[in-house]
Amino acid sequence: MAALPPSTANPLRQGLLAAWPVALGYFPVAVAFGMAGAGAGLAPWAVQLLSLLVFAGASQFAFLGLLAEGASPWLATGMALLLNLRHAFYGPALRPYLAGHPLLAFFLTDEVFAVALKFLPGLPQTARTGFFLGLGLGAYLAWNLGTLLGVFGATRLKGLPGVGEGLSFALPALFSLLALPHLRNPVALGAGLLAFALHLLGQTAWGLVLAGVLGFLWRRP
Amino acid sequence: MTPILVLALGTLLLRYLPWREEKGPSPGQAGPALVVALFLVSAFGPPPSWLWAKTLAALCVVFLAWRLSRHLGLSVLLGMAAYALF
Repeated sequence: MAALPPSTANPLRQGLLAAWPVALGYFPVAVAFGMAGAGAGLAPWAVQLLSLLVFAGASQFAFLGLLAEGASPWLATGMALLLNLRHAFYGPALRPYLAGHPLLAFFLTDEVFAVALKFLPGLPQTARTGFFLGLGLGAYLAWNLGTLLGVFGATRLKGLPGVGEGLSFALPALFSLLALPHLRNPVALGAGLLAFALHLLGQTAWGLVLAGVLGFLWRRP
Repeated sequence: MTPILVLALGTLLLRYLPWREEKGPSPGQAGPALVVALFLVSAFGPPPSWLWAKTLAALCVVFLAWRLSRHLGLSVLLGMAAYALF
């Protein structure tokens, strides 16, 4: 994690400076997302629209992954929203420092939340909104520029040997790292293995629904 | 187009409403369960084949890159490159 950016009279700029480590992490993942979206057969504008309007990396990948597995767009939407339920916890945690506003809430990703929670308590009240807006904008720009590059890169690189195979591994690679911290969670692991068993039986979409529902109903022992 | 708009609106409401209302729904373990499930179904397609070994090898590259760099994007891109090369 970066140290608090140097003090400046402009909180928006201070937020943008604080966003660079997030942007550095987002950009290559967004490139992979853009490439995977093009590889999954979505129109380039639809891939970019996902990043422009949703701005939630894991659920965007989940949406793509489910479509690629043959799920209906509405099922993919429902499962992606279920994945985003965790975002509901972030707003209340930031409320002591920031008033809830739809525009600010739009930027509330996992990483933006983590950085905001680290820096906001040390800032004067008057600077907090500008700082959070700068932080969110920096992350948002990196995510969308990366997606744009991935979409166009995929189109241009499609004919090169190995690119198609590499693209097909973008989702498993990302999900493997996102899943890593949860593999010791027996509820998550059990639900995941049940979904996998159904996947092997040709019932992938229902397996994922079941995993989501089980996770929603069960509490961690 | 419409599912994307619904996903966007739903995500915004999930972020905004609990912020405004001071409390949100408890998703239990839905997020972790879905992430683990998505990993398994996206990585290993049926039926079992030699491709699973190739996938495991590329996943090793991903985990190694993650362990050394702690950089999500770099690890994903290196894994993609490894999968293409294997």
